[in-house]
Amino acid sequence: MIAFVLLLAALPVVIQPAPRGGGLRLDWLGGWSSMREYFRGFGSGESFRYLSGRTELSFWEQIGPSFKTTLFYMCIGALTAATLGILLGIYVAVSRKEWLKRVLEFTGILPDFLIIIALQFVVVYIYLHTKVLLAEVASTSPREPAVALPILSAVIIPANYMIRNVALHMSHALSDDYIHFAKARGMGRGTIVFFHALPNVLPYVKANLHKFMGILFGNLFMVEYLFNLDGVAHLVFSSAFGFEGYQYDLTANGIVTLLVLYAIGYAMLRLFVYGWEKVLLR
Amino acid sequence: MNKTLLAGLAITIVLIAASLLGPYFAPHDLSEQVKIEYVVGEDGKGTLLVPPVPPSAEYPFGTDNNGYDLMAKMLAGSRYTIFLSLAVAFCRVGIGGALGLLLGASSGERRARTRSRPASVGNLLNGIPMLIIVWMILIGVSINPSASPLAMSLLLAAVLTLVGIPPLVFTTREKTLVEMEKPFVLSARSLGASRWRIIWTHLVPHMKESFAIAFVQEIVLVTGLFGSLAIFHIFVGGTTMNFDPVEYLSRSNEWGGLIAQARDHLYTRQWLLLIPLAGYVLYILGVHLISVGLERMYRERFRKVSHLG
Repeated sequence: MIAFVLLLAALPVVIQPAPRGGGLRLDWLGGWSSMREYFRGFGSGESFRYLSGRTELSFWEQIGPSFKTTLFYMCIGALTAATLGILLGIYVAVSRKEWLKRVLEFTGILPDFLIIIALQFVVVYIYLHTKVLLAEVASTSPREPAVALPILSAVIIPANYMIRNVALHMSHALSDDYIHFAKARGMGRGTIVFFHALPNVLPYVKANLHKFMGILFGNLFMVEYLFNLDGVAHLVFSSAFGFEGYQYDLTANGIVTLLVLYAIGYAMLRLFVYGWEKVLLR
Repeated sequence: MNKTLLAGLAITIVLIAASLLGPYFAPHDLSEQVKIEYVVGEDGKGTLLVPPVPPSAEYPFGTDNNGYDLMAKMLAGSRYTIFLSLAVAFCRVGIGGALGLLLGASSGERRARTRSRPASVGNLLNGIPMLIIVWMILIGVSINPSASPLAMSLLLAAVLTLVGIPPLVFTTREKTLVEMEKPFVLSARSLGASRWRIIWTHLVPHMKESFAIAFVQEIVLVTGLFGSLAIFHIFVGGTTMNFDPVEYLSRSNEWGGLIAQARDHLYTRQWLLLIPLAGYVLYILGVHLISVGLERMYRERFRKVSHLG
């Protein structure tokens, strides 16, 4: 895993435009030496310093607040989207509203940046016409961060995926014979949905957690970037090219941090599904 | 053909036609530029004309900050957006589908014992956002490149094709394994049909519908990636970066690029953001409707029917 990150971070060094003409040049030596420098810099702490503009900053000092910001949005996004996704997914599977399914499907395929820009635009439009500011459209300074809209954006897109996923497997489960049997024995709708069908949907939710996390993370990059939030992805992407060119150390450190966050998020969601199973499985 | 499919096809065909024929009918071309000038109207009143010009009869989509016609830019960019997404989707499904078929057919013969392992690898692959991998590969070469926009677009297309193949291989392999278990394949095999014959005359005809749907869905995914990459300064066709002030401009006017470079126009000159956004959403909507319509058509065609009546 770590080797993969180190290679990934070396890609911008390795793949370079050819000095003359329009071709490509593969600079294996450059990639190799940045990796060597990175390991050498561990002792002196050189690998944990980077340039932001022309100012040299310490990675350890800067990463704390960024880590907290990303962790905050990731946790809220993951838990809210998963809860909403499961509950609304059940609702969609049970309801007969065809238009609802169509709208969900279409918004599900729209790229996340479109949805974020649309949300920002709606807020601006309402503000320009009624002078009512519903939410901050972007953070202008670290002291006054935009909160409501980023949370909304961090929830909507993963939740949409979860809803469609749960609804699909729920409607499959509901067409099975054991549901018929439970119904014949006079069990209530709620009991059948939550205690008979849902336990058979949860394995699919578990199996698709990586995909869910992938969507959540891709979306989180967009949220941090478009709302100008001071998170890990923003730190990496905005300072990857410092005053003296590409900063391998920063990118490698940043991606490792993102991996740590991914692991935390994934573990949390596994725990979350485990909780559902504990309650529902009898 | 159902209404959804027709609507989707209509939207997509209109967009393709506009992209191919539009430049011949458009009022302005890419080289025309509105300069700052003082215009005296018929009533003797003078107005100062400063780009950007808002949408008007003369400039239906308005002009950009430098005075270039937005409609001409969108027509030029549509070729990249539409045809490149079609090409990448086609290559992804062609190569990924073929590999998946081969793998599925050969491991299906050996009574797939290892089915769970590759599935979980594919599962983990899903967790890595494509965006970050493509960004890492391309950021070193995309800013102020010396190669032509077309060459840069082809490079991006090749990278997007490569990263898109593995997921398709996994899903096609899974589907093929299911087909391999079916009675007609078993009977063909027991009659001594070769692997190629099974693939060509039994598996491909059975799976061509799912390939068609996968192709359409890949178009949507690729178009989405064009836009997402553009937000992070990688434009289809390469990025022109100016340092004073720092700004990133698209060289090809691809629609995702037009949106990304007008991202700050939420408050003023909103047409610069809204018009490319509308075009982009319309294209995605058209393709999406085709995919939904195809799914419905195939479901109708292959559903079980009553044997009486």
